[in-house]
Amino acid sequence: MVMNILLVALGGGIGASCRYLLGAWVKSRLKQRSIPTAMLMVNILGSLFLGLFFGWVYQEVPQMVYDDLPFLVFAVGFCGAFTTFSTFSVEAVTLLQKQKKRKFITYVGLSIGGAMIAFLIGMFLGSQVMKFI
Amino acid sequence: MMQKHGWVVLSVFLGGSLGTLLRYLINMQTTALLFPVGTIIENIIGSLLLGTLTGWTLVKVIVPVLKEGIGVGFCGGFTTMSTLAADAVVLGGTDSMGSLATYLLISLFGGMFVAAIGLMIGQYLANRSVKKESREWS
Repeated sequence: MVMNILLVALGGGIGASCRYLLGAWVKSRLKQRSIPTAMLMVNILGSLFLGLFFGWVYQEVPQMVYDDLPFLVFAVGFCGAFTTFSTFSVEAVTLLQKQKKRKFITYVGLSIGGAMIAFLIGMFLGSQVMKFI
Repeated sequence: MMQKHGWVVLSVFLGGSLGTLLRYLINMQTTALLFPVGTIIENIIGSLLLGTLTGWTLVKVIVPVLKEGIGVGFCGGFTTMSTLAADAVVLGGTDSMGSLATYLLISLFGGMFVAAIGLMIGQYLANRSVKKESREWS
């Protein structure tokens, strides 16, 4: 149990730090941003990673594997913390409050749809890896 | 990059660890349920918290170590989009489209609704704190 907790915390800490650094880097490069690009990228990329990991290691979306150490460190920890929902909610509401309806729809659609599609692509690519090893 | 962001990264790391750990503990309590209730709870509470923090910072300045540690670290680590994507794919694949739509709508509108409430609460609390300070000075 102690090992589980340490691995989840470690993966989560690294995931959150990577999100912060990538976000800072993207923001420093893109001066004019019409939609919150950094979090969009992070969420799509993190969902792709999770799909790759599930496809490669389990060939499916695993259920009830809360004692599996790679699952804890990478799926719950890293991918869970690298991606975020709270920033997405706040940024979506902010776009809506500024009356930017089209940007709001684009941002929400790309975030949710993009994350699901990236996850599915990841699952497919990940499951192919085993065939070549 | 690391020199400029050093202490903030450390606080994001610590906040992220704590948030992730809490998410893990909630998930452990809700695995028996067929519907991903755990992720909904985490995403909604985290959105409320980040909304409140963001509302507060619209009025008052918070040191970056604390602001990013709680916001980017804790709230970001506590909530997740990758698990939501995985949950959604599972729901869409095994069940009727109804449960997928329910899950996405609750997450999306629930998260945005509480984020908006949080923004108001945060601004209200910060304004009240500003007034209190100005009374103390005068």
